[in-house]
Amino acid sequence: MAQPLVKKDDDRDDEMDFSPFYGIEKGAVLQEARVFNDPQLDPRRCSQVITKLLYLLNQGESFTKVEATEVFFAVTKLFQSKDVGLRRMVYLMIKDLSPSADEVIIVTSSLMKDMNSRTDMYRANAIRVLCRITDGTLLTQIERYLKQAIVDKNPVVASAALVSGIHLLQTNPEIVKRWSNEVQEAVQSRAALVQFHALGLLHQIRQNDRLAVSKLVTSLTRGSVRSPLAQCLLIRYTSQVIRESGMNNQTGERPFYDYLDGCLRHKAEMVIFEAARAITELNGVTARELTPAITVLQLFLSSSKPVLRFAAVRTLNKVAMTHPLAVTNCNIDMESLISDQNRSIATLAITTLLKTGNESSVDRLMKQITNFMSDIADEFKIVVVEAIRSLCLKFPLKYRSLMNFLSNILREEGGFDYKKAIVDSIVILIRDIPDAKESGLLHLCEFIEDCEFTYLSTQILHFLGNEGPKTSDPSKYIRYIYNRVILENATVRAAAVSTLAKFGAMVDSLKPRIFVLLKRCLFDNDDEVRDRATLYLNTLGGDGTVVETDSEAKEFLFGSFDVPLGNMETSLKNYEPSEEPFDINAVPKEVKSQPLAEKKAPGKKPTGLGAPPSAPTSAADAYEKTLLSIPEFASFGKLFKSSAPVELTEAETEYAVTVIKHIFSNHVVFQYNCTNTIPEQLLENVIVVVDSSEAEEFAEVASKPLRSLPYDTPGQTYVAFEKPEGVTAVGKFSNVLRFIVKEVDPSTGEAEDDGVEDEYQLEDLEVVAADYILKVGVSNFRNAWESMGPDCERVDEYGLGPRENLAEAVNAVINLLGLQPCEGTEVVPNNSRSHTCLLSGVYIGNVKVLVRLSVGIDAQKEVAMKLAVRSEDESVSEAIHEIVASG
Amino acid sequence: MGLWDSFLNWLRSLFFKQEMELSLIGLQNAGKTSLVNAVATGGYSEDMIPTVGFNMRKVTKGNVTIKLWDLGGQRRFRTMWERYCRGVSAILYVVDAADRDSVPIAKSELHDLLKKPSLAGIPLLVLGNKIDKSEALSKQALVDQLGLDSITDREVCCYMISCKESINIDVVIDWLIKHSKSVR
Repeated sequence: MAQPLVKKDDDRDDEMDFSPFYGIEKGAVLQEARVFNDPQLDPRRCSQVITKLLYLLNQGESFTKVEATEVFFAVTKLFQSKDVGLRRMVYLMIKDLSPSADEVIIVTSSLMKDMNSRTDMYRANAIRVLCRITDGTLLTQIERYLKQAIVDKNPVVASAALVSGIHLLQTNPEIVKRWSNEVQEAVQSRAALVQFHALGLLHQIRQNDRLAVSKLVTSLTRGSVRSPLAQCLLIRYTSQVIRESGMNNQTGERPFYDYLDGCLRHKAEMVIFEAARAITELNGVTARELTPAITVLQLFLSSSKPVLRFAAVRTLNKVAMTHPLAVTNCNIDMESLISDQNRSIATLAITTLLKTGNESSVDRLMKQITNFMSDIADEFKIVVVEAIRSLCLKFPLKYRSLMNFLSNILREEGGFDYKKAIVDSIVILIRDIPDAKESGLLHLCEFIEDCEFTYLSTQILHFLGNEGPKTSDPSKYIRYIYNRVILENATVRAAAVSTLAKFGAMVDSLKPRIFVLLKRCLFDNDDEVRDRATLYLNTLGGDGTVVETDSEAKEFLFGSFDVPLGNMETSLKNYEPSEEPFDINAVPKEVKSQPLAEKKAPGKKPTGLGAPPSAPTSAADAYEKTLLSIPEFASFGKLFKSSAPVELTEAETEYAVTVIKHIFSNHVVFQYNCTNTIPEQLLENVIVVVDSSEAEEFAEVASKPLRSLPYDTPGQTYVAFEKPEGVTAVGKFSNVLRFIVKEVDPSTGEAEDDGVEDEYQLEDLEVVAADYILKVGVSNFRNAWESMGPDCERVDEYGLGPRENLAEAVNAVINLLGLQPCEGTEVVPNNSRSHTCLLSGVYIGNVKVLVRLSVGIDAQKEVAMKLAVRSEDESVSEAIHEIVASG
Repeated sequence: MGLWDSFLNWLRSLFFKQEMELSLIGLQNAGKTSLVNAVATGGYSEDMIPTVGFNMRKVTKGNVTIKLWDLGGQRRFRTMWERYCRGVSAILYVVDAADRDSVPIAKSELHDLLKKPSLAGIPLLVLGNKIDKSEALSKQALVDQLGLDSITDREVCCYMISCKESINIDVVIDWLIKHSKSVR
């Protein structure tokens, strides 16, 4: 909706020249404000000055404390004037200036006088200002007057009091709640605005009491609300009540639907629209319920008022996402809106049509859109592109016209985000519609011939390298790619070199010619380009020095880089040049999911651990470093996984303890992060005594106590267990924190010499199967699944018993297994009866695991699950099933 | 005298209309708002509420229009007195002569205020109120206890009044009218 906004700004710029506020400057206005102190006041002049001051304030100009105070007191002197207009400005000024509480109190008496004045305007505005500046004690003094004002026969005064009530409810709810009777009376007012404000306040007073809101709605929906604004409000409250009560009576009539339906025949358009929108947003709305709402919206589509057309098309656009069929009736009306003068309406119409259109109308639509694209802003173009993408996936047969459209708009002017949306769409179409591949790739090639965005060029070149060699005639792409080497900047040139190499590796017939091209790149003036060319020449040259076989070369060029870049960077930084080459397999693969949970104790106290010299970039790295620096644990080898911290104490207890489970191949180390929250105590020799009697496969091998734990300085103590290799040993551990406590004099901070031994019971800790599984995602699940092959596949079915919904069941399994959901499949659409979720991860021992999880739910909310597991090792597939079976 | 004179007075008031601005200050419960009422209407009410902030009143006496800033006397308003005293024709300082304990505070507040450079030279009229009460101080005692003799940089005058019994209110009005001419 940015376009109307932009337009508005333009308008304002134009007006700027004629603006009466042009050239207003703070210093000058503050000088002018001296007229407030004149013995003979000129109300007109004073009003003008206040107008300027208000303008400055609203433009975001800030006044210093002194300036604001000065202006405020000068303004208070204007209370001597009887000029109604000036008084009004004074009210505004006090409200907008909002001076500090101890100063603003000076106007209290004057405002209280005005609040009881005979002039309605004084009464109304004084109430608003007074409520703005008042505090609880003063409010009780003026409460009587406010109650009177609520039922004042002048609607302006009543509204002022009601609106003030809405504001005051935030700060002094108990006082405002006492006004219920008066507010209820005001709801029956004949004045439209009073009714509106009164209803708003009444609802706010009761909003935390669901029953009261329901009663309010029930009584008011029977009629008696005359004001259209109040009616709209009531419709909103009604839909809220429907939402909250809908759960209980799924069967039969929806409560209050008749009321909403009746509002569709109201004479005010806003009420009709509000009711129609409320109906479309009902949870699980049925087609029968939807029909009357869609009908009135359809009428609005051909209204002469732009705002009605906009509102209707916007609502229909939303409905189209969930109920495209219901909207198809409006298609004819909507098509006429494509040429609407208002571009927001036109865009919404187009995108709605794209969602609801059928195969036969696609060509016609595309034609209309083409005329229209040049008129709209980039943001809207992106919306259109996305709509076209989904349309194309829906009607793959129509890919030709849609792809043509995309390539046409790709050639036109546009910003980065727009171009990126188009390129992304083409890439997705190429991936999902095999027929579209060749033409799509050529479109992309043409685009990079004249592309100003380095990022897009490199992305396309990479994509081209993967897809191009598999086409029927790979050679036709080479020219486009080599042109990049000649014409573009270093980044693009380097990407082009890589792409050329990929063609060379895949297409033997092209190899000699590619070699010629790559050799030319050896003389490039950029390091990276030269380096890449050299590397690829050697890789593909096949003299056996760099890679032994052809398949290794391909793996090198096309294999996915499954190491997180952040971890790779840290590892490279830590690598010291030596005889031993850098081993990429040693880089931790776990994606950093959260920032380092505990802060290292600042170097005030010796904690026994040398604090790492620089802040570690990933939690896993930091843990590994810390653990291996402890002599007892140095021999454990590589850290496989560290769990998220688990709390072993309630919040707000004397000692806060969390535990992190570090899994090694033969060992498990528990890292207890302890914090002492009692200022009068110093803890020494802190250790956690772990009882592993319920975890038979574990044997305690080492522990590392914490020498001293002063107040509010976190410290760590460790306990290590040995476990059988390759077995996912699970078990429960009970923990007791044992320490020597010493009293500390809070004033001096010195501890007494004698301590007392003490214990503190912690909660139990469990090692579960998920601790042995790393969350590692794959970018393309299908490819990974296919390449894993069915050899080690294990499939089984499970009944998960009754569940609230599928989402809950899926989450439970994901949490149990500790695997990474892929491709967003962990999100279960509302009310769906079946779902497939894709999971991936790495099992201890670096075994890749992929899981395809299909669940279904029946009418009795019984969930059945089919679990297909593929991994590199049969036993691991079995193990995953065991986890589920026992979980 | 008679019709002719009053007609002349009216004519004179048309051409020689005077205006003056006054600030009315003093500790809380000294009787400032009561004085305003006494001057404006001559009425008196036992039951008054403390002034939160200020009251602005315009009173016309003869051919003089008096703008009265009647300020609250509670501690939180005292720092703001000075802002409403700047540029006035005269400062009226009301003291509860019957509340002997408050007189020292009244003295220090008064002297603090008069030290402000922005108020230099503005005539001061000190009014000892509530002389209808038996425990009220005498005029001389009040002048001594407020240290009025030490104020030399401006015109200072002191009257003992009672808003309740309307004692000396006319004297105050006369003083005010006299000063409206001298200032402007």
